[in-house]
Amino acid sequence: MKTIEQLRSSPWTAWLALLLIALIVPLVLGGYLITILTIVCIYAIACIGINLLFGYTGLLSVGHSAFLGIGAYAFGLIAIRFGLGFWPSFCASIIISGIAGFLIGIPALRLKGHYFVLVTLAFAVIINIIMMAWIELTGGAAGLAGAPRPDPIPLPWGDVIRFQSPLSMYYFILFFLVIIFVVSYRLINSLVGKTFIAIRDDENLTQSLGINTMSNKLVSFTISAIIAGIAGALFASYNTVISPDSASFMKGVEIVAYLIIGGAGTLAGPLVGPLIMIAIPEMLQMVPEIRQLLFGIILVLFIIFLPKGIAGEVSFLTSRIKSQPRNV
Amino acid sequence: MNTTSLEISNVSKYFGGLLAISEIDLTIRPGELVSIIGPNGSGKSTLFNVVTGIHRSSSGAIRFNGKDITHMKPYQVTRQGIGRTFQQTAIFRRASVLDNVIIGQLLHTRTAVWGAIFNTRSTRRKEAQTREKARQILSFVNLEDKDSQIAGNLTQEAQKRLSIAIALATEPTLLLLDEPTGGVNIREIDGLIELVEKVRKSGISICLIEHKMRMVMNISDRVIALCYGKKIAEGTPKEVASHEQVVKAYLGECNAAPGK
Amino acid sequence: MASNEQDLARPPLFINKTVDTVFSVIEFGQYLINGISQGCLYCLLASGLTLMLGILGVPNFAHGNLYMLGAYIAFYVVAFFNMSYWLSIVIAAIILGVLGLIIYRLIFYPMRNGPHANLFVAAIALLMILESAALLWFGGETKWLILPYSNDVIRFGGMSLGVQRLIIILATLMVMLGLELFIKKTTVGAALEATAQNREGAMLCGIKVTQIAAMAFAIGTALAGVAGVLIAPAVMILPSMGLGPLLVAFSAVIVGGMGSIRGAVVGAFILALVESLTSGYISATYSLVFVFAAMILMLLIRPSGLFGKEL
Repeated sequence: MKTIEQLRSSPWTAWLALLLIALIVPLVLGGYLITILTIVCIYAIACIGINLLFGYTGLLSVGHSAFLGIGAYAFGLIAIRFGLGFWPSFCASIIISGIAGFLIGIPALRLKGHYFVLVTLAFAVIINIIMMAWIELTGGAAGLAGAPRPDPIPLPWGDVIRFQSPLSMYYFILFFLVIIFVVSYRLINSLVGKTFIAIRDDENLTQSLGINTMSNKLVSFTISAIIAGIAGALFASYNTVISPDSASFMKGVEIVAYLIIGGAGTLAGPLVGPLIMIAIPEMLQMVPEIRQLLFGIILVLFIIFLPKGIAGEVSFLTSRIKSQPRNV
Repeated sequence: MNTTSLEISNVSKYFGGLLAISEIDLTIRPGELVSIIGPNGSGKSTLFNVVTGIHRSSSGAIRFNGKDITHMKPYQVTRQGIGRTFQQTAIFRRASVLDNVIIGQLLHTRTAVWGAIFNTRSTRRKEAQTREKARQILSFVNLEDKDSQIAGNLTQEAQKRLSIAIALATEPTLLLLDEPTGGVNIREIDGLIELVEKVRKSGISICLIEHKMRMVMNISDRVIALCYGKKIAEGTPKEVASHEQVVKAYLGECNAAPGK
Repeated sequence: MASNEQDLARPPLFINKTVDTVFSVIEFGQYLINGISQGCLYCLLASGLTLMLGILGVPNFAHGNLYMLGAYIAFYVVAFFNMSYWLSIVIAAIILGVLGLIIYRLIFYPMRNGPHANLFVAAIALLMILESAALLWFGGETKWLILPYSNDVIRFGGMSLGVQRLIIILATLMVMLGLELFIKKTTVGAALEATAQNREGAMLCGIKVTQIAAMAFAIGTALAGVAGVLIAPAVMILPSMGLGPLLVAFSAVIVGGMGSIRGAVVGAFILALVESLTSGYISATYSLVFVFAAMILMLLIRPSGLFGKEL
């Protein structure tokens, strides 16, 4: 049985406490907060995907909106046009996002540095144009309506959970956030994760150690595409309407920005970033133009003065403090 | 018993119009320690880069264990069993010393993403094995007490040891060391020389680029001298040291014509 | 009608074919002309971008918004201050040039030693700042800059060219000539070109790279501003007007080769023609997809572009 001291210093305690807060606070406070937090969770999922690719493998993609869109539209089209239920459509959209990630990754990852970033931009814009223009398939600018919510879950005592209320959808999405968080945690701490970090820190050295960096980068890219696809499909289910703006190029840029402010290359970064950058402006009821202006200013300030992001700088400072000699 | 050998046949490398190395023939036999010397700019590091696939050779062939590795990519060359260190100490500065050596072993560990995510027993076992082997390598190079330190904080000499440890982790049969004592002060060189000898005794062939003559003379089986990309002498350390052209090269003259 | 009369009413087959060919030549020619006039705009944008990319290594995502600011300046100078349209070209060049210096000094200069990815992010942030500032300051409603000759069109041989479009072509010619003279005939210009091609080499020659970088940035932003002024009388003026041209300009820089002005010019016209021809013959909505497809193709075959350094 762990002592209180051990519990206090274990990192798991902090995460569990956070989870508890995430579960209880909306129940208590309710209302508009639930909507905000749901959106925060969806963005956090996407940010975890980008964190894996950029924070841990060192590849900047500003075009992941492509996968948000592919996940959302694949889910919506299969559910609406083919009439399959929530779960088959959801699983299919995950697989399709993965395939898309793999196919786009193969040519894109042959390029390095700025060229790679620009190609991701190009793909995102191309896919967005297709979403807008291929009206027979995607409904064009109006999009698709009628994406399904998750199927009702029967409870042992005869009652049923229907995913109609904001609170139920919030918990559903939070559930996925927790799963994806744990998956990314395991990945990062494994040997696979160490390979990614090695590629990020010195790709040439990593290659000279016998590691096929191209295939590793492709794995990282595909996984991040799958995660973004999940975020897109979840948003589609939540919103029940799928439109091209949910996958505009700017969305892909926003995800990267939230991650950087939160702290790329940290576990908390993808959670902190969206939370601060979405919840606070919503609660202050900022006008969109002002919000974007402040967003840009904050991003610039962060990237110049605090490039490690909030979580990054905090963990940097605490490790500095810990290695300070004790003043007894 | 180390039976591997490296055969470099008539290899040249042009960078645009500049001839970096020209018609180099070199064989490294199993268990040998061969040193390459020459003034700065004579093409020594370029030779290593061509062998390991970082640069494509303009002509000639390279065989390792009878296998043609001339056009292999760097990661493929390493997988054949050739490890190397770099003149500018290449280590993962932000990672711990232990992690550095763990990364060096990754080409031999086959862990899948699935295993990583689900933390399967076989994955955990592999991770434990990797960690254990990393510790063994660190104690071989005398860095085991620093395993949790951040690599960037080590002294220059310790960093050189670490870079050798990382290369050893790839399980090479031939190790290419590019100036392993570069930037290390005189008092600490003996330790590194001992380490190189220790590696050699463990059965790994070594090819060494060095400027410090004491080291070259004491431990080499054979010495090759390069000047302006051409081989100007080859033989035992004594033979090469007294070779007329080698002396001239170090004094600034060289009979091998530069350029085309 | 009886079939005999039908045959008489229809012109002979060979005349049909000739007419068709003539029409398709005219159609092709029209697309060509459209492409050339658009190409001029992209040329101005791409030249500035390639200087910034070659010297700073930063793709300035905000470039489209600088172009947008140029258009707004033209609008206000003419509509608000009632000054000459031609004056607005000079005013925009100056304002945007100074803005470029400020942006460089405040944002990109402090970041010069950090990782390249961060420069991207800073450029994105700048894009957000400029667009939302424009929305707040100018408002989101479309503005139109109407000049006395705005509706005049020159017609020849079945093709037509708006007067403003002609002005764009002529003005671009003059600006690019001026730029070429500056680079080829002045020492500063030579230093600029040298730094864009090979930064370390330039430093080794004693060129003050920081000052050159600042100048390159200012020239780039000024060029964007001029492009904005030139297009202003011909299009809707909106805060979001810069995104489309920005994307094509980027593609032009890649196709032409980063750091090469000649490449930027060639790339700009090639892609403008791709855009114009695919827009006419295939589909206007998908034309940007073809432009990007061309860029992606170039990246896969020869990433350094037509005139860039071999990677």
